[in-house]
Amino acid sequence: MRITLAVNGTRRTFDAHPGETLLELLRREGYVGVKKGCGSGDCGACTVLLDGRAVNSCLVLAGKADGSDVLTIEGLSQGGALHPLQEAFLDEGAVQCGYCTPGMILAALDLLTHHPDPSEEEVREGISGNLCRCTGYTKELRAILVAAAKMREARHG
Amino acid sequence: MGLPGVKEFVRPETLDQALELLRQHGERAWLIGGGIDLVLFAPQDAEVVVDLGRLPLCYVKEEAGRFAIGATTPLREVLEDRSLEGYMVGVVPQMLHQVASPLLRNLATMGGTLVSANPWSDVITLFLALGAQVVLSDGKAQTIPLENLYPARAHRGTILTEVYLPAPAAGSAAGFWKFGRTAFDVALLNAACLVRMAGGRCVEARLVLGGRPGLGTRVPLAEKVLVGSDLGDATIDRAAEVARESADVRDDRRASGDWRRELARVGVKKVLHEARGRLPGGER
Repeated sequence: MRITLAVNGTRRTFDAHPGETLLELLRREGYVGVKKGCGSGDCGACTVLLDGRAVNSCLVLAGKADGSDVLTIEGLSQGGALHPLQEAFLDEGAVQCGYCTPGMILAALDLLTHHPDPSEEEVREGISGNLCRCTGYTKELRAILVAAAKMREARHG
Repeated sequence: MGLPGVKEFVRPETLDQALELLRQHGERAWLIGGGIDLVLFAPQDAEVVVDLGRLPLCYVKEEAGRFAIGATTPLREVLEDRSLEGYMVGVVPQMLHQVASPLLRNLATMGGTLVSANPWSDVITLFLALGAQVVLSDGKAQTIPLENLYPARAHRGTILTEVYLPAPAAGSAAGFWKFGRTAFDVALLNAACLVRMAGGRCVEARLVLGGRPGLGTRVPLAEKVLVGSDLGDATIDRAAEVARESADVRDDRRASGDWRRELARVGVKKVLHEARGRLPGGER
């Protein structure tokens, strides 16, 4: 089947098998920032934004995304400038092996887009579907709160 | 490959088209909302995937205190719907915050959740307690109580289009409790209740335990303790004890039946105290 996606702002048409997942399609097409972890919706390494909301791409059949906007980690920086979430993850040392990072950042982006001023508890819930096996969650939590403050500042000038 | 046996993926725009696809492909057709369980359990006989995502069934509507939730509404949209915060002191968002992760709630739909009938489902446990009804259509719509939906396989050939939460009766309140290993994990046991008081007496009680590990089911012997009572501390303790003794619990790989029996006692006590604390002033 042919499906059309706007991946990171660029509209493209792909050949897809009717039983394949969005994760499989994206990685085959070179968007390897999308990681395969558990394949069962538990770890969140495959998180992408589908029409602005974070989902486990390992559980989304590619056909379901036809006509949708997809954002992967590759599409987050603008003109070479890192997104405030990416900067904060670096500044706060929230990256160790990096495997969970793309998913964690995109889950956080969904949260901050819809809740620009989250409490610590809301951030914890926001990334509860993203597992990190290296650093734990303290630094990620701090990075997301720092990014939230930066993003609010940028929004209000 | 996610599902190598799938030969076709179709996205009907109307209910009639979806029903026609069901008739045409019979047992080979699989309906999906979010499609999570289809990918996870990968049934061998799924050849035609019918995605209901384009049907106009994504909504939360309130009418005279009664809520109608469309089958393809993602759990996240139900959770974020402000109007439901006023329904039974927000017991629906209280429960939904505890369902899986935000990532899965963005994908999982209300209809898919009810039809998949995962036995640990927090949604089903609470909705059974609230007396939810579902609308099934095979071309003609039929409204049935949620408990009559199960086993869902008995309704093959129909499509669940909507779930109703009834307008709360005067003097009623609800409670919900989930016990899991982590915020993300499925319930080792969950409990929900609805109680209705009139003139200081309990006139209706619906008490449900789920993840036993079976699907949510009522606990009639414990309900009997509550009806006619003043819902005092002693009554709640007795109902919790009866739930402990009579709950239909078993062992599985997640927890032992004995442990669940104790969880049943604690859960029933917690939800009844919670509901009592939420009763309107005159009935508290």
